[in-house]
Amino acid sequence: MVKTSYMRLKGSQQLRQRLLLSTLSATPVLIEDIRADDTWPGLRPHEVSLLRLLEKISDDCVVEINETGTKLKYKPGVLIGGRHLVHDCGLSRSIGYFLEPLIVLGLFGKKPLLIRLKGITNDSKDPCVDTFRSTTLPMLKRFGVPSEGLELKIESRGSPPQGGGEVVLAVPIIQNSLSSVTWVDEGMVKRIRGVTFSTRVSSQFENTMIHAARGIFNRLLPDVHISTDHKAGLQAGKSPGYGISLVAETTSGCFISADTAVSYARGEDTDALEDEERKELMPPGDIGEQIASILLGEIEQGGVVDSTHQGLLFLLCALCPQDVSKVRVGKLSPCAIETLRHIRDFLGVKFVIKPDPATETVILKCVGCGLKNLSRKIS
Amino acid sequence: VERTVSRQGTNLMQLVYGKSASKSTTSNDKVKDSEDEQSEDDDFFKPKGEGNKKMSEGLDGDNVNAEDCSKFANHAKLKNWKDEVLIESIRDRFVTGDWSK
Repeated sequence: MVKTSYMRLKGSQQLRQRLLLSTLSATPVLIEDIRADDTWPGLRPHEVSLLRLLEKISDDCVVEINETGTKLKYKPGVLIGGRHLVHDCGLSRSIGYFLEPLIVLGLFGKKPLLIRLKGITNDSKDPCVDTFRSTTLPMLKRFGVPSEGLELKIESRGSPPQGGGEVVLAVPIIQNSLSSVTWVDEGMVKRIRGVTFSTRVSSQFENTMIHAARGIFNRLLPDVHISTDHKAGLQAGKSPGYGISLVAETTSGCFISADTAVSYARGEDTDALEDEERKELMPPGDIGEQIASILLGEIEQGGVVDSTHQGLLFLLCALCPQDVSKVRVGKLSPCAIETLRHIRDFLGVKFVIKPDPATETVILKCVGCGLKNLSRKIS
Repeated sequence: VERTVSRQGTNLMQLVYGKSASKSTTSNDKVKDSEDEQSEDDDFFKPKGEGNKKMSEGLDGDNVNAEDCSKFANHAKLKNWKDEVLIESIRDRFVTGDWSK
């Protein structure tokens, strides 16, 4: 048997991207020093959960974790996909954390993916499920993903810390490969849409958020519609929370989004969360104003996607056939820069990055790596 | 830091991909120490923008275990969008802007 050669990496950063790219490029990875110096070393529950999810949707993949969880060996298998899958995402990160890699992996499976994900639907750290519906999924269509069978259904909502939400994600497979894009025209914002949610709190919170957000937009645009989604009973999950997801749609069909949610912090021993604990919840009026301001900030910086979606955009460009893709974004986010580096390491795709001083945006060009849906051909 | 750097129009390719293999493990302190040992003459040949590079390298070093999160919203730097001047500054990004120009 041939000895597998592993790509050696360090640390827990960008684990999702590393696993995703490792799977797509069939490169086994060996990650060491995962939070080795932390008081709580090793992989976090959500990271282990993500590995379990990868095992679920692929065949013959091998995951090895050492005793302390500071070392991870991952040998990707063949992406299978399939229906009637269920995955409990746990409570340490929201469903959005899992959706981000999953929507790309699903495209390159043998069979279309239909999976039920349980956990937290809305929190402030990851893009919420509403943003996935309004912004992320339309973005995939740009790259030639069929809109039929591409869906995210929110069956119930769950806020931190107890969660209790459920969504059903359907991702079609691409028959051959993605199609490259020339996507540099961000257009003008023609309307703003959005949705608020509330679980286990008064539905009046939603009206307050909407009112505050509208107050910011009113002087710019009349076409603002924000709907409400108050959940009650079982559909409201187990914890109180409320939040809002906004999307600005432009004349050239770009979607710029911003979202947030508030709820009581998880009573976890993660360092990062410590300062958030015992904090008073931000009042809904402030949340509305804050998220409207964030959205305007995203619109101001320009680009065909918001800063959250930059990484995904570059990834999709890199996975295209060997044609030139050209996209425009605002200022590169730190995560997007990491993505670009990982794309180079795993796929060998290097972007040409040129600032456009006139609009203070950045133009990126690349030739895709020509990834084909190999899983499908085997069948 | 990287955001401000990109605004200054430095070479983005270099910022993202680095000059050669990344030396991300060198910590900021080490770099400083070795510099102190060098004579002043060496400073003369220091390439422009070294400071920036060092900073981003330092960031990389710290970020080995950085949180895996695609969302990037700097709430602290949020502008006051109730300000009329600010609103007018992005009006042309909306269909309601003045397009006669």
